Amino acid sequence: MSGNLRFLNKSITQSLCVLSRGYARRTSFPDYYQNPIFRKDEQSRLIEEGELSRRAKLPVKPPTVYESSSVYHDPLVNKVINHVMEKGKKQLARSLVEKAFENIKRKQIERYHLASSPDEKAKIELNPKDILHKAVENSKPLLQLTPIKRGGITYQVPGPITERRSLFLAIKWLLEATYEKEKQVHFPEQFAWEVLEAANNTGKVIKRKQDLHRQCEANRAYAHYRWQ
Amino acid sequence: MLSRNWRHLCRRYSQAVTFRTTEASPSQHNENQIGLFYTMEEAQCKQLFGSGGLPKSFMKQTKTFTETAIMVRQPALDLINCIKASDMNQPAIRYVLYGEKGVGKSLTIAHLLHYAHENGYLIVHVPWVSEWLRRTPRHKEMANSQSREGFVDLPLDAAAWLLHFKNQNQAMLKNNELKTSKEYVWSKREMTEAGSSLAALVEHGINRVKYACDVIDALVNEIKILSDSKVCKTFVAIDGFNSFFYPMTRLKTPTKKQVKPEEVTLTTSFLEITKNDWSNGVIVVTADQLAVPEEHQESFLPRYLLFKKGFEHLDPFVPIEVERYTDKEFLTCANYYRDRLWLRGPTEIETELKFTSACNPYNFMIQCAPL
Repeated sequence: MSGNLRFLNKSITQSLCVLSRGYARRTSFPDYYQNPIFRKDEQSRLIEEGELSRRAKLPVKPPTVYESSSVYHDPLVNKVINHVMEKGKKQLARSLVEKAFENIKRKQIERYHLASSPDEKAKIELNPKDILHKAVENSKPLLQLTPIKRGGITYQVPGPITERRSLFLAIKWLLEATYEKEKQVHFPEQFAWEVLEAANNTGKVIKRKQDLHRQCEANRAYAHYRWQ
Repeated sequence: MLSRNWRHLCRRYSQAVTFRTTEASPSQHNENQIGLFYTMEEAQCKQLFGSGGLPKSFMKQTKTFTETAIMVRQPALDLINCIKASDMNQPAIRYVLYGEKGVGKSLTIAHLLHYAHENGYLIVHVPWVSEWLRRTPRHKEMANSQSREGFVDLPLDAAAWLLHFKNQNQAMLKNNELKTSKEYVWSKREMTEAGSSLAALVEHGINRVKYACDVIDALVNEIKILSDSKVCKTFVAIDGFNSFFYPMTRLKTPTKKQVKPEEVTLTTSFLEITKNDWSNGVIVVTADQLAVPEEHQESFLPRYLLFKKGFEHLDPFVPIEVERYTDKEFLTCANYYRDRLWLRGPTEIETELKFTSACNPYNFMIQCAPL
């Protein structure tokens, strides 16, 4: 349990660097080029810490189009959009995710108006981005199974999972659950539904996570294969 | 927790700035209420716009906001003042609303219709002309006109419009003075006698869909005669009027021949009522880019959209431009959205949205949606 807590604590500190850009392949920029810092709050932090004068001398990669200092820039939302994207059609992916946000918002506002007491109203979360954050946080797995071959038999061995991979799995599962839909239902509606369910700690994605945890628990006897 | 505090803060902030007016009657609106929202009664809204009239995206908003609130804006006020000031004994004045996409032409018409309804006008309102001429669902009911050679009828659309007309003028049609001037013979056994009420005429069109187009033709003539003889005053509002003048419609006869708009019976009827050879009436039409195909949307000015033919048909008319939000209107709109929980977050967001939406009302509404 304490390990879990430590893990969660770590995950919060890591979440920022996980969402920063990483490249699968080589880029045209040499290694010593720095990632751009485009958020105003981060820039002000740099100035406070006196880092700026040091960084000013280093060459910096250009920021991409989606890295803006806008008020509603959100790295996680950008990540999800990239996962939804196919064949580089980012505009389309973005419009789909935004429509899903709109659906979430309409549903929550409707719920808000239906709620009778102010207490109930205060409980309803209305910001779709917060709901997405909560949904992703809820669907992140804490353990993973790795296939390891010992004595001709492949064992599913439970082990810790990196923050980066658990984020990847959470988003992937959310989207896979969304794609399991009738043809008549459109992506934004289904995605909105799945996100709301996951934020509420119910639904397909949460079940999948719990199944994985159960499997890990069942296979704990194989855990020593990780190092033997 | 933080976002909840924000929400409360925002609500308090939004209440501090007035964005609402309690004056629910359009005839009482004046310059002091520009940029403020007034709420339309639900029953009235249902009666006026139950079968079309408000844009689809706006209808969605009314459901989310649990009310129908329309902003009082300059063009609508100008038009109302013009109507109040004009002499009704003179030939009917034509007003043409024009403006970019999404600036609120249709909602201006909605505001005016509310005014007309309140002041006891007989309303002849076409929600969207392109619905007839450009929208082609798989089974579009089309028939060759029996009364006129070479013309095409759209019986189902016509009957739907008659129902719309009946709903909008429920109170007016009970008035027994509205009578037909001459006898209409539909077939061997069916006829409408001279002196029967307009309600009976409309009812006949709804029940016998086959004759709906001819009924509309008759109805338009009767309305003109009745207005001219000062029995009733008439308010004609046609949204997307320029669709009547686009060279081709998207309709096709069973023989795959493309239909021109002037070959549709509905077109002739509604062109007839927009002529200024009658008095005691007000005619408001819109020239809208969305009513014509994309390749012909280069300009939003009436001369371009109405073509020479339409321009000459309407000439002389009073052009009224609907513009984007002014700074004040944008501010009240943002506050209204905040109050309705549609917009959240820090106040800097408004400056950004103002910049990205360029104060276009529709764009502003759409861009608030995912926030």
